[in-house]
Amino acid sequence: MSQLIGEALLQEAAEWNLFDVNARVGPSGIYGGLSLDADGLLAEMDRFWIRDAVVSHWTGEEYDATEGNVALERDLRPRLTAAWAALQEPGFLDGLAARRPLAVRLTPGANQHNFSLAGWCAGPLYEYLEEHSVITLIGRVDIDWDRLVALMENFPRLVVVLLDCGYRADRFLFPLLDRFPHLYLDGATYLAHRQLEAFVDQRGPERILFGTRLPLYTPAAALGVLASARISDGARRAIAGGNLRRLLAGCRNASGEVKG
Amino acid sequence: MRSPVGVLDCHGHLGTHVDFPAYKSDAESMLAVMDLLNIERLAVTSTLACYNDCPRGNAEIDGLLKRYPDRFLGYITVNPNPPGQALQELERWAHFHRPPLIKLHPGLHHYPVTGPHYRPVWDYANSTHAIVLVHTWDSDPNCGPLLFPAIAREHPGARILLGHSGVTWRGYHQAMEAAGQAPNLYLDLSGSQRHRLILELGVERLGAERILFGSDLPYLEASMTMAHVLTSRITDEAKVQILRGNFLQLITEAG
Repeated sequence: MSQLIGEALLQEAAEWNLFDVNARVGPSGIYGGLSLDADGLLAEMDRFWIRDAVVSHWTGEEYDATEGNVALERDLRPRLTAAWAALQEPGFLDGLAARRPLAVRLTPGANQHNFSLAGWCAGPLYEYLEEHSVITLIGRVDIDWDRLVALMENFPRLVVVLLDCGYRADRFLFPLLDRFPHLYLDGATYLAHRQLEAFVDQRGPERILFGTRLPLYTPAAALGVLASARISDGARRAIAGGNLRRLLAGCRNASGEVKG
Repeated sequence: MRSPVGVLDCHGHLGTHVDFPAYKSDAESMLAVMDLLNIERLAVTSTLACYNDCPRGNAEIDGLLKRYPDRFLGYITVNPNPPGQALQELERWAHFHRPPLIKLHPGLHHYPVTGPHYRPVWDYANSTHAIVLVHTWDSDPNCGPLLFPAIAREHPGARILLGHSGVTWRGYHQAMEAAGQAPNLYLDLSGSQRHRLILELGVERLGAERILFGSDLPYLEASMTMAHVLTSRITDEAKVQILRGNFLQLITEAG
């Protein structure tokens, strides 16, 4: 097995205090061969010097939001921050609020939780998330650009992290980043040639967060891009984890409570 | 991050891209990144040719090879749609490399790789022991990986690189299934979806000698695929084969 050219190649990442915003835990009915339990996820994070991760639970995404949140609570470990499943139903919101969430992951697709992301359908949920500065994760596959615009126009203080936006999105993404100061993206699929450098050159490092898409993708991809980007050390550390920690601190401060 | 092994990259491009901004895509910017990552040579195809203009696109490759003969290798890109053009291009640019490097993009040219217009190209590749890089995509009717075993068996002299290995998790499994059916099919690792464990699985099923490093530079970030290979749970020997040895053997042998 590799002694000369293995994980040590990226050991410099140990100094970056990596915080992954895009990870999932638990069994997946679709990606069964790749899914990881909490201990497996932590072991994979260790291989790549990832200190912390925001995780959602496959059960909450593929099956039932409430069941998924129970499973997520069971699987949480000290280095894992929950991204709870969230529905727009009034009764569900009470239970979610009782968890004092730092992050949620919305999966509104027709084959998932099947609701509209529009304000007329999920308005009270967004009002809660906005008021408490909860980090709201939404996969690009789950929201089209015009709906994202409507969402952020109607709830301008909502902190949205657009996950898996892909590498072909800049012609949409840049105008939106200019327009909406609380919109962020993760780097798991933002993998075009020198794209991260161009992003930092044009928009600064504050709006992009390190993400891996574990357990589906190897963290080596996002980490390799971050490691090879010709950007300042300050920018690299902000992307690696500084930006996400700042957002989490903002959520904690929003209600002056200890939340998890 | 820098590869400790001098890399030979089987999949690159020259040109911009239609549906997203290609950053730092000029030859000199690519060379700077190649130097940074330790990519010694990059085999490139013209993106203009992959879309709509093979004669002009291949001429751009010719110019690049004249400027940087030690850093780039050139694929001759052919389009099956203009009658007779494919063979003309193969003959016109035969000096790019021997054995020839040929690029097919059935997806962008909207023509099935099994179609009759490609037959003269496959016959040419068979007789010249060409290395043929073909864009592939999961289950695509024009270029799905499972279309290739029959072509490969019928043209055993051609060495066929399954570009992107079908891209998706399912596409990779199709590519592995295809390569398992014909010894002259190879997996190219370039692609945007870096599935965990897929490389280990490929080495286990096919052997490292059937897998080649490709970056898709300057569209995809070479460092992601490089880091994937270097951190995978395969032997150092396998990594060196994938990053360098396999493509070196293909381009220096007559097949």
